[in-house]
Amino acid sequence: MTDPTRDEEKRLVEHAKRDPREFGALYDRHFQQIYRFVYSRVREQTAAEDVTSEVFMKALKAMPRYQDTGRPFAAWLYQIAVNAIADRYRTLRPAQPLEDFHDLSVAGPAIEEQAAQRDEVRRIWAIVEELPSQQRTALVMKFQEDMKIEDIALAMGKTPGAVKLLIHRGVSRLRDEAGVLRPLD
Amino acid sequence: MSGRYDPELEDTLRDPELLRLAAMLSSAHTPEPPLDDAFKSGLRRELMQKAWEATERRGSWWRRLAAPPRVAWVGAAALVALIALVVVQTQGTGGNGEVVVGSPQSGGTAVQLQQPILVSFNQPMDHQSTEQAVQIVPATSVEFRWSGDTTLFVQPTSGNLAPNTQYQVTIGPGALTKGGKRLTSPKEFTFVTQPTTPSPGGGPSPTPGGGSVLTGQHRLTVLPGADYSPQWSPDSTTVYFVNAGGALQSAPVAGGQPRTLVPDGVSNPALSSGGDRIAFMRAGRLQVLNLSGGQTIGVAGGESATAVVWVKNRLYWAGPSGVFTTGPGGPGVGGGTVKLASNPDPSGSFISIAPDGAHAAFRSGGAILLVDVATGATTTLGRAAGSGSFQGWSPDGARIMHDGVIADMNGQTLARLPAGDPSWSLSGQIIVGTDSSLIEVNSDGTGLLQLATGSAFRQPAWAPDSSTFVFVRGGFLWAAGVPSGHQPQVSTIDQASAVVAAFMQARLAGDFDKARSFLDDNGKAVYAAGGPALIPGGDAGFRRYYILASEVDPTSPNTVRFVVRLIFGRGGPLERTLSEETLTLKRVSASDPFLIDRVTAGPVRDLGRGPVVVAVRITPSRVEVTFDSDLRPTTIAGVLLQDGQGSPVGGSVSYSDRTVTFSGLQLSAGAPYRLVVLPTVQDVGNRNVVSEYDLDLVGPGADVSAGSAPQTPVIVLPSASRAHAPAAEVRDFPPLPAAAGFGVALNGAGAVRVSAGAGVRT
Repeated sequence: MTDPTRDEEKRLVEHAKRDPREFGALYDRHFQQIYRFVYSRVREQTAAEDVTSEVFMKALKAMPRYQDTGRPFAAWLYQIAVNAIADRYRTLRPAQPLEDFHDLSVAGPAIEEQAAQRDEVRRIWAIVEELPSQQRTALVMKFQEDMKIEDIALAMGKTPGAVKLLIHRGVSRLRDEAGVLRPLD
Repeated sequence: MSGRYDPELEDTLRDPELLRLAAMLSSAHTPEPPLDDAFKSGLRRELMQKAWEATERRGSWWRRLAAPPRVAWVGAAALVALIALVVVQTQGTGGNGEVVVGSPQSGGTAVQLQQPILVSFNQPMDHQSTEQAVQIVPATSVEFRWSGDTTLFVQPTSGNLAPNTQYQVTIGPGALTKGGKRLTSPKEFTFVTQPTTPSPGGGPSPTPGGGSVLTGQHRLTVLPGADYSPQWSPDSTTVYFVNAGGALQSAPVAGGQPRTLVPDGVSNPALSSGGDRIAFMRAGRLQVLNLSGGQTIGVAGGESATAVVWVKNRLYWAGPSGVFTTGPGGPGVGGGTVKLASNPDPSGSFISIAPDGAHAAFRSGGAILLVDVATGATTTLGRAAGSGSFQGWSPDGARIMHDGVIADMNGQTLARLPAGDPSWSLSGQIIVGTDSSLIEVNSDGTGLLQLATGSAFRQPAWAPDSSTFVFVRGGFLWAAGVPSGHQPQVSTIDQASAVVAAFMQARLAGDFDKARSFLDDNGKAVYAAGGPALIPGGDAGFRRYYILASEVDPTSPNTVRFVVRLIFGRGGPLERTLSEETLTLKRVSASDPFLIDRVTAGPVRDLGRGPVVVAVRITPSRVEVTFDSDLRPTTIAGVLLQDGQGSPVGGSVSYSDRTVTFSGLQLSAGAPYRLVVLPTVQDVGNRNVVSEYDLDLVGPGADVSAGSAPQTPVIVLPSASRAHAPAAEVRDFPPLPAAAGFGVALNGAGAVRVSAGAGVRT
């Protein structure tokens, strides 16, 4: 009784390619995740709005040329977002402290255990924000956006192997810089 | 830490310490960033405008739709519909150089609020004379934008269209073509807008205490398929699904390894009502697996089925030839096959069959059609040429979820849903999974509550027990429960609403006996004794209805009152009048059905003759009264809020975007208040409210029986002693976003100040 999400997305994409007025459905479907991703990178609402606008405007314009490679449509939007953020970062650095942005999820352990780990997780994510840009983007896409490596590769314009390397280097650097971690089990 | 298992990370990191770090990173998710709803809707408007402009550059929309490549896509039936649409909209064929006017919104019954009115012409038009010839009812301040000379965007300066309102757009004969040719006659089209968003303040109530109130959340298995098509066992202990490899699997919700039932190639699984058989498509054939015996049988005539469902242990399926069911013997028992309905469009396909087997959803071109299986009649949902999206059924099959709304079987929009993947429980609660949160909402669109945030909750599916559900997150299938404080339950209002909806549908359909079945003896007496007509006569032209307000009687949880607005029109597309009925529903106990016990009817009021209140929102500190028209700000003193003694309440009054706002209030829970709209209130077209309009309110917070959040009050009862005064619509809705990018404002004298071609259109 559920809608076949992937098929539905393909259908929406095909419609939007044929008729740009159908792009609204794709916007409704992906606005939140793209805005969230952009905000997590630029940390300022106005900037996030600017970049998100740019992403969807570019996507609308480029829709007729979009090629379905079998990856989620969102990966393409992320790709545009990554480029738009990179352009912005050339002249602008995020100004807001990042420590409070990440919080424990609903998928973790019991509440009390979550509370005990909260500070540690925030500390680790704060270190993520100090990583080189591409490592940081790869980690955010993997751990925050739950993206598959092939989708991250598409979004970042890299090979899956390169993305794996970025993630490995990023997490390794976290280990080195985080020092002694609280046991997780 | 119960970090998720991710084979990609296992392969990438390998080192246990790195994997532990990865688990820690995965366990943290981003809370929702601050978001201005006006930005989101404004950007959408901007995108749509760009899209229309781009489309226009490629040629007029009706020409493109009729062009050969489009014909193939849209399909023959859709093209016929579109041709009819154009003919109806344009009121002329365009022959002999006649100016043809069209709009994709023409005839719409649930037009989205966040878009301009679009008018297309078949030849270049003179901008100034055309703009001056535009008339809109209800009175609306607008700005004009052109795309070339043939497409005109008429943008309300308040940003959005008014909810639940019929708009009548007329292009008067003063409009000239670029060549100086006049319209031979006024061109007119109408459409009805959708209801307001039900959520107070534009979003769900926050999750109490933080990110989640879910319980027992745990991972069941890895990587379900993109469409994992979950099916629950009747005892809610096992979920059946299709994994990424196309295998049909079952997983115990309590935990344990999933079991593979069919190794590959499975789609459209459907578990029988008894839970003993599961049907599915494989290799283009419909098959049924006996779960106890393990044998599989093919179903004759089930080739290429695209929708499969069991209705009371009887198998239904739909394929290219239509909707079918098995004979009395059931599949494989020689009972034969019975054809129930034909395919309404050979180029389209069935998407889903309702749980009761009475309707099916069908995709034709970009539209979703609702097919009545018994009669074959079709109803187009949403926009005829739109990108319809089917989202599911109510468990009883009486409602369909599509394009973010809940509609009845006549296609009438009843409520809106948050954007996402909805699932409707047997007990009447809907959960909506989004990329970043899980939201619970009542089946009437009210009572939004955020159950969890910070993560994706895609494709949730309620178990039959209405307390457990599964969902997809991060490439895994998860199960979770809702804690006792938030256990889904059918609210009293929901139960009574279902009765009102069925009652009104029967009246719309002219089914006297069915309508009467929802009345108790008192109710029957009212309709039989010269009161309102149970079945409004054909001359009245009863067209639609909507529920204005509902409230559980604070003194009796088994008494609910509704204010229902009935809309009438005859002899053309225009809605002419409205009347309101206050229905009091009663039941003996919570286990009994509601019946309509008392009915009071308000007077018939004309539509299109002056401003009408279309929405009221009340919180302890604020009351917002939204009109269908833009008002002259100098006349809003005629909108009063009084306490039980008739004295004005304190606070301040402001006006913006069709809405009069009383703020800084300290309303007492349960105390009576009255909204009064005097005939001195005038719209920007200089028309006054037709007659005094009174609406009795109760201070928010009193309606505890309905389980509403404290900030979700909305208690409105037309005064029994003032039954002649119709009540206004009362809904939860977000503040209308300010117009973005338009230099238009109403000045203090009620005139319109514009930066570019704009004006009041009445």
